[in-house]
Amino acid sequence: MTARTVLRNEWRLLMADRALRIVLGLFAALLVYALANGVVWLRFQERTVEAVESGNGERTSALQQELDAIANGGQPSSPFADPRSPLVLGGPSGSHTAALEPGSLTALAVGQSDLLPYYYDVNIYTNESSFQQNGEVENPLNLMVGRFDLAFVVVYLLPLLVLALSFNVLSEEREQGTLALTLSQPVSARSVVAAKLAFRAFLVVGMVLAMSLLGVLATGGFDSPGRVLLWCAAVVTYSLFWFVLAAWVNTLRRSSAWNATVLVGAWLVLVVVLPAAINIAAGLLHPLPSRVEMITAQRDASNDAVNRRSELLARYLEDHPEMAEGVVADEPGLGALAWAATDAVNRRLEEVTSEHDARRADQIVLVRRYRFLSPALLAQDVLIDAAGTGDARFAHFQSQVRAFAEQWREFFVPAILADEQMTASVLPNVPKFRLADEEPGDATRRAAVPLTVLGGLVLLVGMGAGVGLGRVRGAD
Amino acid sequence: MQTAESRAGHTPLLEARGLSKDYGDTRALDSLDLTIAPGEVYCLLGPNGAGKTTTINLFLGFVAPSGGQALVSGLDVATHDRETKQRLAYIPEQVMLYRNLSGLENLEYFAALGGRGSVGRERLTEILVEAGLERDSVDRRVSEYSKGMRQKVGIAIAIAKEADALLLDEPTSGLDPKASNEFSALVERLRKRDVAVLMATHDLFRAKDTGTRVGIMRYGRLVTELSTDEIGHADLERIYLEHMHD
Repeated sequence: MTARTVLRNEWRLLMADRALRIVLGLFAALLVYALANGVVWLRFQERTVEAVESGNGERTSALQQELDAIANGGQPSSPFADPRSPLVLGGPSGSHTAALEPGSLTALAVGQSDLLPYYYDVNIYTNESSFQQNGEVENPLNLMVGRFDLAFVVVYLLPLLVLALSFNVLSEEREQGTLALTLSQPVSARSVVAAKLAFRAFLVVGMVLAMSLLGVLATGGFDSPGRVLLWCAAVVTYSLFWFVLAAWVNTLRRSSAWNATVLVGAWLVLVVVLPAAINIAAGLLHPLPSRVEMITAQRDASNDAVNRRSELLARYLEDHPEMAEGVVADEPGLGALAWAATDAVNRRLEEVTSEHDARRADQIVLVRRYRFLSPALLAQDVLIDAAGTGDARFAHFQSQVRAFAEQWREFFVPAILADEQMTASVLPNVPKFRLADEEPGDATRRAAVPLTVLGGLVLLVGMGAGVGLGRVRGAD
Repeated sequence: MQTAESRAGHTPLLEARGLSKDYGDTRALDSLDLTIAPGEVYCLLGPNGAGKTTTINLFLGFVAPSGGQALVSGLDVATHDRETKQRLAYIPEQVMLYRNLSGLENLEYFAALGGRGSVGRERLTEILVEAGLERDSVDRRVSEYSKGMRQKVGIAIAIAKEADALLLDEPTSGLDPKASNEFSALVERLRKRDVAVLMATHDLFRAKDTGTRVGIMRYGRLVTELSTDEIGHADLERIYLEHMHD
């Protein structure tokens, strides 16, 4: 009864407050804009992946035609790109592009999908430096601040709206004098404030969830109901954290102005300062090696390798004895020598990139450890992971591309060393990339800890608020 | 002294038994014993800080007693918060309402909180009119109301709640004489419905005019109790001043 009465009264107060209606309208407009932004990015990715996949088919059929033509007495289109050479067929001309389909909720959270490569051209020259590069040029400002998507609105702006609606949920009643009249009725401050917050939560969370589900519906994300549920759970839990924080601050019996100052301060620290400080600390404690250093190492290794190709080939065969007998001609061809040089460059690069990867892994470990200091980081983690645009899914994709690149080399390198001539008949046997996407439960398992911690924070602060509200009397 | 119980022949609706309240080292209320029966209007007189508002706050459960008990219909306020509040209505010195809502909407809200959610809008409008509000004012925003009009909404809330007891904390303070008079008439109407009224006031004239009994408080103590039938306005003023000069 109390809840229904308070909810109806809150609705009337909302309808009577023009400023509040404008704020909610503005928030709704931001949600629409954020979703539209996410959908635009999703469509762009979908088009790119589609183009990449059709490119694979077009390249294969072009090579097929050329090889058939050559088999029928024709000439290669260029003496430097003879598809019969395994260096050409397995090289950039015949490369296969491995692509990652956009995450099922990409329209809601662009996440890392504009930062991390979601497709790689795999050929025999694919090496560790290939994994450090993104083939697309993106506005660096977008990459720095992140796209304006629903996840951004949820993590950064939703708390501000929650605080704007709740910073004075109790103090205003006290200041305007209605608290005494309210608490002279057979109701508790706890039940009244809980109902008032429930109304606000219903409005704010309802708007975000409605927009999220609309986005999911429009982009076919319901194929992954687990991820949708995870997204909703993160939105609800994160919003509740801010609501209970506002409730708790209200129980400190200070003025509305004081509440507003403290809550905005909390937002600044938890959403802006702490995440930035953790990122800066990660960069300072585990600095990434310079990219220039990597490129210089690649060039030095290339120059060195070209000069020592014969020596390198001998070393390669020592390392790969299975290739030594009967595979390489007694007089190694140019292809074999070139491959030996390429392999040497790859090894040198692996040393440089492994250091880069190790530092990055250290950074991630540090950020993951200290993300528990900020509910914003926890929520962002879960939202992006639920959307399938987080680090983990990209790492999963990248590891498969690495394995595919290895498979690709294993297919072509013996032919290169043996100086074989390729024909159209090998094309059906050329490896094809088949992405095994994450299992539906993977994201849920990863989100379990951050979501539990976030839920624990809600309970902890909520209990503090509940105890504080239990002490509120009309004469406060 | 004749008690309200013996006079009215009813169980007292409001009763204080050795009720005390300390704020730190300051004793705001000192062992108050008081009974108010249905149909009685008990006026607490006294200077600021005498303990009048503290007494009302203790009956409302707004503050916890340091000693003794505040009872409503025999139920201890400290242990029966909800039940006692169901029987009480409260009108503070300044009835503060939701300014953006109309008088009727405010009444609907507080009546529903008081457990009278089933009362229809027409009946609530009648109650507001009965409380003295003009019919064409009930749908106006409270921000346009005078203090007297807000007090009338407060009375309407009490009427709608059908409370057994009414606690009034200086309800006519700041009202013009006409509004004060109308207010007294409303209290008299409630008294006739057997509502027990405890009113804290500085207004000796209103206390004599509206009350059935008067208690004079000083330094947290009830120093004397008088029946308004037995004294005139001048007597009350003289007795009050005598106690204040002691």
